[in-house]
Amino acid sequence: MSEPITRRKILVNYRIQASRCADCGRTYFPPKSLCNNEGRRSRMNFVDYFYDKGTLASGSAIRKPTNKFLHVGSFMSAIVSFDDGKIRIPGRITDYVLPEEELDVTQFIGKGVIPRFRRLYTDGPQGLIYYSSLNFSFEDDYYPYQKYVKVKSSNVSELPGITGYGIYLPKFRIKSEDESSLGVRERTVPFVDEDATTFAVEAGKRALIHAGIDSRYVKKCFVGSESAPYAVKPSMSTVCQVLQLGEEYDGGFFSGGIDSQFACKAATDLFIDAAALVAYPTFGGEYVMVIGSDNSQAERNDPLDFTVGAGAAAFIFGKRDVIATLDYYVPYTSDTSDFYRREGQKYPRHGGRFTGEPAYFKHVVTAMKTALRLSGLTPKDFRFVVCHSPNAKFPYLAALEAGFQKDQIEPGLVVRYVGNLYSGSSPAALAAVLDIANPGDRILMTSYGSGAGSESYIFTVKKEIEDKRERSIPIRHQIENSHKKYVDYNTYRKWKEIGA
Amino acid sequence: MGIKASWEVKPHVAIIGAGRTAFGEQWYKDPEKLMMDAGVSAVESVDLGLGRRDIQACYFGSFLYQTTNKLGLVSGHMARELGINIPMNTTEAACASGGSAFYNACIAIKSGMYDVVLVGGFEKMTDRSSKIVDDLMFAADPYEFDSGFTFPGLYASMMARYIHDYGFGDQRCIEALAQIACKNHHHAVNNEYAQYRRDITVQDVLKSPLIADPIRLLHCSPVSDGAAAVILTKPELAKKYTDTPIYVIASQQATDDISLYTRESMTGIKATRLAVGKALGEAGISIEDIEIAEVHDCFTIEEAMFLEDSGYYENGKAWKGIYESYESFKGSKHIPYIKDGKELIVNSGGGLKADGHPVGATGIRQIHECFIQLRGKAGKNQVDKDLNLALCHNIGGTGGIATVHILVRDIHE
Repeated sequence: MSEPITRRKILVNYRIQASRCADCGRTYFPPKSLCNNEGRRSRMNFVDYFYDKGTLASGSAIRKPTNKFLHVGSFMSAIVSFDDGKIRIPGRITDYVLPEEELDVTQFIGKGVIPRFRRLYTDGPQGLIYYSSLNFSFEDDYYPYQKYVKVKSSNVSELPGITGYGIYLPKFRIKSEDESSLGVRERTVPFVDEDATTFAVEAGKRALIHAGIDSRYVKKCFVGSESAPYAVKPSMSTVCQVLQLGEEYDGGFFSGGIDSQFACKAATDLFIDAAALVAYPTFGGEYVMVIGSDNSQAERNDPLDFTVGAGAAAFIFGKRDVIATLDYYVPYTSDTSDFYRREGQKYPRHGGRFTGEPAYFKHVVTAMKTALRLSGLTPKDFRFVVCHSPNAKFPYLAALEAGFQKDQIEPGLVVRYVGNLYSGSSPAALAAVLDIANPGDRILMTSYGSGAGSESYIFTVKKEIEDKRERSIPIRHQIENSHKKYVDYNTYRKWKEIGA
Repeated sequence: MGIKASWEVKPHVAIIGAGRTAFGEQWYKDPEKLMMDAGVSAVESVDLGLGRRDIQACYFGSFLYQTTNKLGLVSGHMARELGINIPMNTTEAACASGGSAFYNACIAIKSGMYDVVLVGGFEKMTDRSSKIVDDLMFAADPYEFDSGFTFPGLYASMMARYIHDYGFGDQRCIEALAQIACKNHHHAVNNEYAQYRRDITVQDVLKSPLIADPIRLLHCSPVSDGAAAVILTKPELAKKYTDTPIYVIASQQATDDISLYTRESMTGIKATRLAVGKALGEAGISIEDIEIAEVHDCFTIEEAMFLEDSGYYENGKAWKGIYESYESFKGSKHIPYIKDGKELIVNSGGGLKADGHPVGATGIRQIHECFIQLRGKAGKNQVDKDLNLALCHNIGGTGGIATVHILVRDIHE
């Protein structure tokens, strides 16, 4: 493909955009400027099916793909009907591994499918990476279908805070086999067409659905990652284009943002900025989205290779219908070279024996204890404590040292089932406790990023959390999902490296 | 049998010569050389003689020459090969490039502008074997490409839907779609030009490697190199060149969306339906009058769909007709489809499946096959009956274009 072709196609591909005749209602994908019925009198409007559910009309199991899709192996492609059969759209079935024997495709005809934003192919290692929402997962599989309903806000909070969140964990897992995994029993594995940008979009989509807000009012978006698919070219602009953040104008959107990098605290560092922005009159926007997304990288057989997971967490900050206010913020930073990756290098490396004591524990515990001291609160005032979770041991020990008890620590230790999500790690732990928190509960969250720094946040849960609960896909649902699929080590490496 | 008594349609075009190359892997021939070989054999086939300089214009059909062969401006290549500087035009209509070139050439003769034209179709697909699956997708919609579809995958979607809607779990439906390949392979055994001159069984088809489920390798036409050419003239001049010209009494083309997913039906080809309907109307005959048909069996499902799109069998019932015809066949050479006791022989030379499918050449190869069959010049592969009416059906992409031509030997003078 080429950059100009891509830019034209993005507008259709990302949102499954179609055109509809204002007079007769006939709908066209790809969009057309003339209705077949109305001819030159046509008045066409755009509609999109990004949040809709389709039905598989037919398809086939592609065993000998085009060169562009060779990396996917064998897969199923399909024709999907939307809008009660008004239009049909082609797409690839994703998160589905073909059986070796003949697939009876007819069994899938009539099955519900949900659009997924995924990677298609690349123009080699130096060229563009192409994405599209013309990929579908089965409705009765791992990801449930969620409607996107924009709910009118009712309460404006004095303190800004979290108005919604979404966690995206891929369907595939690898089981840990030995003690080197430090309490990580299984980990999430990206499918062959996923990367940090696709995770970010999926998590952001879920956060919008959970918050029930109109994406037009999200004026800023930060995407923190240490495995962004591009060295230069933000994931944020892709997220913005797909999720339509900000008011639309001429194919673009009145919103801003950046990709950020600070190892595993690239996203959480910006929670305070997000909260500050929505409280700042000049900002002029209602909401800020912060996403931590990583296809966590580790070299083959490196200790991290037995703990890294994949996924993303998106949090939306605002002042309307806040589910948890952000009450305290304590950052702590030092130049500590515990873990780093030079430009152009594929994998990060560890610095000396810094990882534990002078790096993680020093920063995390300092931030936690300081937050307690400045807020005048004691561990007893909190229902939950969550920390950055490179494994299940570190956050446990850090929280114990700060004076917390097992029952406050355990609920956030989802790292056992998802692995180290890097930028998404402490946000996912936060989400895990928000999933079960009650109004009035206090949460202490502490992140950690190599290089090195931590920040502690204190949140107080509000009653609005209960109104929004039915719109979330809880982490438990994803961890205990009966549709999750285990893969072997070689598949895990192959899929992870394609989306690296 | 043959043309109805009331038939008063005057033929517009006469075919006076036809030639072709063998189809298959032609490693040592450039595409323009293949075209030249077919052209020379067409010229030499003209019984009473035709000089190269009698040709007043050429119409070529080819699909992937720019991508696969890194060639452009076919006219310039062919002017150099032929050593003549006459008007030449090239038509690209994917797999219907040949049929569409023929359609354009018929218009040229009918217009009165030329007395003699050469129509050629060629394709050399083996130049980029590792990329041909991608290249063929130029005949599909980019959104289909981006969905991971391949050409077999798109036809497999039609086949799956056909089996779902009309097969009702009956194994005979699956077998019928394999029998088409067996029949066409059987027809190619005596065709000296064919790529695959061997019989295959239903079990061979159903055990061949999966390509795009439910399509297996032996449901598919092959990747081929080859060329074919025919010489056209005005009917009133035909007898100057041969005592047995073959007349074109209908020449039609219809189009439809490039994308399978936007079409009205996934179990039929609208462009075929329209072109066949118009062609039968033009000739003033019905589909039952046709004795041999060259049908675009790029995948076996397409031949089954043609039998329904043309009205030969009712919608959803072709597989039963195919199955019963195949099972009841007791002869040795050509396996006809039977309806109400009448026979229709489809793809007498093996069709795209066994004769081979060098994309741009196919539409002209079909004319060549009917030309030799109607004239009784098909040698060992000659159909064992006196034939007079033939139909050629060539489609492009997954049905974005279709051409239908009806040929006749005996006309009312």
